[in-house]
Amino acid sequence: MKILLSHARYAGVFMLALVLPLALSACAQNPVLLDSTYASLAPQVENNDVPFFSQTEYQCGPATLAMVLNYQGVDTNVDELIPQVFLPGRDGSVQPEMLATVRRHHQLAYPIRGTMDALLGHLEAGDPVVVMQNLSLPIYPMWHYAVAIGFDLPEETILLRSGEHKRHTLSFSRFDATWARSDRWGFIVANPGTLPEGITARNALEAISAYEETHGPKEALTSWQALVERYPANPLGQFALGNALYADGQPEKAITAFEAATQHDAYMGAAWLNLGILQLQQNKPEEARNALMQAASIEGSWQERAQALLTDI
Amino acid sequence: MKTLRAYLSTLLIAALVITSLPVAAAPVSPQSMDLVSTQSVLANDRAGADRERINEILARADVQEQLVKQGVDLAEVDARVAALSDAEAQQMAQQLEQLPAGAGGGVVGALFAVFIILLITDILGLTDVYPFTR
Repeated sequence: MKILLSHARYAGVFMLALVLPLALSACAQNPVLLDSTYASLAPQVENNDVPFFSQTEYQCGPATLAMVLNYQGVDTNVDELIPQVFLPGRDGSVQPEMLATVRRHHQLAYPIRGTMDALLGHLEAGDPVVVMQNLSLPIYPMWHYAVAIGFDLPEETILLRSGEHKRHTLSFSRFDATWARSDRWGFIVANPGTLPEGITARNALEAISAYEETHGPKEALTSWQALVERYPANPLGQFALGNALYADGQPEKAITAFEAATQHDAYMGAAWLNLGILQLQQNKPEEARNALMQAASIEGSWQERAQALLTDI
Repeated sequence: MKTLRAYLSTLLIAALVITSLPVAAAPVSPQSMDLVSTQSVLANDRAGADRERINEILARADVQEQLVKQGVDLAEVDARVAALSDAEAQQMAQQLEQLPAGAGGGVVGALFAVFIILLITDILGLTDVYPFTR
């Protein structure tokens, strides 16, 4: 009895030490949403077109991927995805492989900005979002993937396809507490050539670049075009488009893209160098000389090559 | 495994030294009309190109080994490694053990104290472990 009591006391102290600071920090987290978000969003959103695949055992990774991939028109299922993304030794699936598996199915995986405002904005635009949660506490984590498909603003609830539940409703604050433990990690799956609303230029660059690594610049071309259409002043986007256009056998359009890159960032040596090389190929030595001189004057890995090409003209 | 890694490193260093010899003779090949790739520009804040290349290849070998160790079907390992971008491969190689693995399997065989704590945090709206709390 005595032993039991002392155990109970330890457990009590342990619990207090754990729960108290958490309960206090939870207060500081409210409100979850900006006032402007409340004003701009539709009150209720639910994307009924997202198919539901129930998870078995630890297969929430394959199940969430099956939902978002099928939503995009990819014909796949949980059984096919398990060997592609599940790690038996970890009883789960890790984030890099979640993104990589999306790309294996010729889709792009765009990371979202980790805020509730951004998440609800994506849901209103009709894009289901894969989110990673820790349903439990950091000391005893229960990592989980789910697909967010909608929300109810007056009720302050979010709607997930999660685990064995086709419609899992939970409050904004509870959801955000579990989502915050993954640093609010989430992504949207999209067809090549489409860029979902609200994706930042940087996240889009990384996502399309990763896609290009596996599938080559020709297949990435339409996505680069979508990025440049959305963010025409982004020099890296123009640069990437130039490379993809060149790979696609359109050197003149590539020159235009590299020129745009240098206009938006006059210190982008790599863009000047690529521009110069293409102008040389197009038999425009005067223009090429100008571009290469710019490249040679900016410090960086391109400098040496630019100088060598200049002496060659 | 260490030996494989050491062997691979030596091989890679040798390969890179040999392939860079003609280049060293003529500092920069003017014939090279390859464009600077998007990926190399995106990664330009990382270390030097050759070193980066070695790291990437080693990272992929590492990931391959780890996936096998984690019980991934041998027939699938190559395709899974190939699907990773260089940045993802490095992330996997460096911290696969620490990366959270989404499972959502439920608390099986949890200590009683853990059960009670999660019950309380569920009621407080901080966690989402036991559906019956709502």
